[in-house]
Amino acid sequence: MAAISKDSGAATLIGPSIVISGKISGDEDLTVRGRVEGTLELSRGLVVDPGGIVKADVSAKSAVISGVVVGNIRAEESVELTHEARVVGDITAPRVVILDGAAYRGRVDMSGAPVAAAPRPAQATPRAPARVTAPARPVTPLARPVPPPAPPSRAPAPSAPAPAVARASVQRAEGRPVPPPAPPAPPVVAGASRKKVIVRKRK
Amino acid sequence: MAGASSVGVIGKGITIRGSLSGGGDLVIEGQVEGQVALKNHLTIESGGRVQATVKAADLTVHGTAEGDIEASGRVHLSSTARVSGDVKAAQVVLEDGAVFNGTIEMDVKLPDVLQER
Amino acid sequence: MANTVIGPDLVIDGEISGDESLVIQGTVKGRIALQEKVSVDGAAVVEADVDARAVEVSGRLTGNIQASERVELRGECRVVGDIRAPRILIADGANFKGSVDMDVKER
Repeated sequence: MAAISKDSGAATLIGPSIVISGKISGDEDLTVRGRVEGTLELSRGLVVDPGGIVKADVSAKSAVISGVVVGNIRAEESVELTHEARVVGDITAPRVVILDGAAYRGRVDMSGAPVAAAPRPAQATPRAPARVTAPARPVTPLARPVPPPAPPSRAPAPSAPAPAVARASVQRAEGRPVPPPAPPAPPVVAGASRKKVIVRKRK
Repeated sequence: MAGASSVGVIGKGITIRGSLSGGGDLVIEGQVEGQVALKNHLTIESGGRVQATVKAADLTVHGTAEGDIEASGRVHLSSTARVSGDVKAAQVVLEDGAVFNGTIEMDVKLPDVLQER
Repeated sequence: MANTVIGPDLVIDGEISGDESLVIQGTVKGRIALQEKVSVDGAAVVEADVDARAVEVSGRLTGNIQASERVELRGECRVVGDIRAPRILIADGANFKGSVDMDVKER
């Protein structure tokens, strides 16, 4: 068995009989079922399965711990200790969830946490959707990266396409207003713009 | 044992400065500053605010708590909880959305292969 | 109805203030200043000055009572302290020691 095997996804799995000592860093998701000692620096997610043992300071985008971690955990998004987790160390993340059954000792710092989980303001903008309502075909087809508003901030975006679309009347609406690029917008934006459903553009 | 039978409620328009102690369950919807030492269950409702050292058997927080907390049983911070302080309990649960800053101390049994740090 | 109930096993040592009614079934020492009604139930023990809109005592209270509306001492209560209120009712059986002053301007 390879020391580190890849799952069908892009994630890397450290099997249960493996012991790694040193520094692990990478841009993929990592699942630990064996033992890791040293330092973990990941830009994606870390999952420590039950049975996994990590004796290291961890830095990742997110962490879901069901095994043992002795070390400080720092995550950009969230840290979750499930009911089998046993963790000793400090946790720094804007979102921390500790499930019933988890055992933990350390300091929690959520000072980066938003005080009120407010939904993206974009969703509140009714302007675009008001017109678009008719076809309301959720952009799902997504051939074209839906969120034209993505680049600028979401709120103001709709106002630009809206009038243009209105003019073009419900039908045509050449994809004029749509800025071609539309980089792969973060999921949030996609969701928000789905509401706007600038379906017109698709035509 | 007067535990389960009595439930006290500190309404949201009430402020208490001083110490609260005793048996019975207590629900705080108002404000309490000082010390709280209960033998049973304390609930801090979402509009409640406790700036105090708290000792209780179990604690459920939906509101704000500032101060050290010690519970023999569980401390449950719900999604609307805002807590800062050191918490020591047999079990601490943080729901998604809870905002917590401070230390948590539960009993953690580590596998033999890792001598406690 | 009272929103706040201090249960029979609760002991509060300090100041209670607020704009709600309060029912005391436990023990309170210190000071109570409310804009609503304070009820001291039969088993309650209060060692505090009380300042409220209305005060009704069925238990034990040691302290001065001041009310903007009325004070009622019910049967079997034991009150030691001065009372100031525009209306005062002392029921048969009430045990009271102190002075009474009803010369308070009604609002």
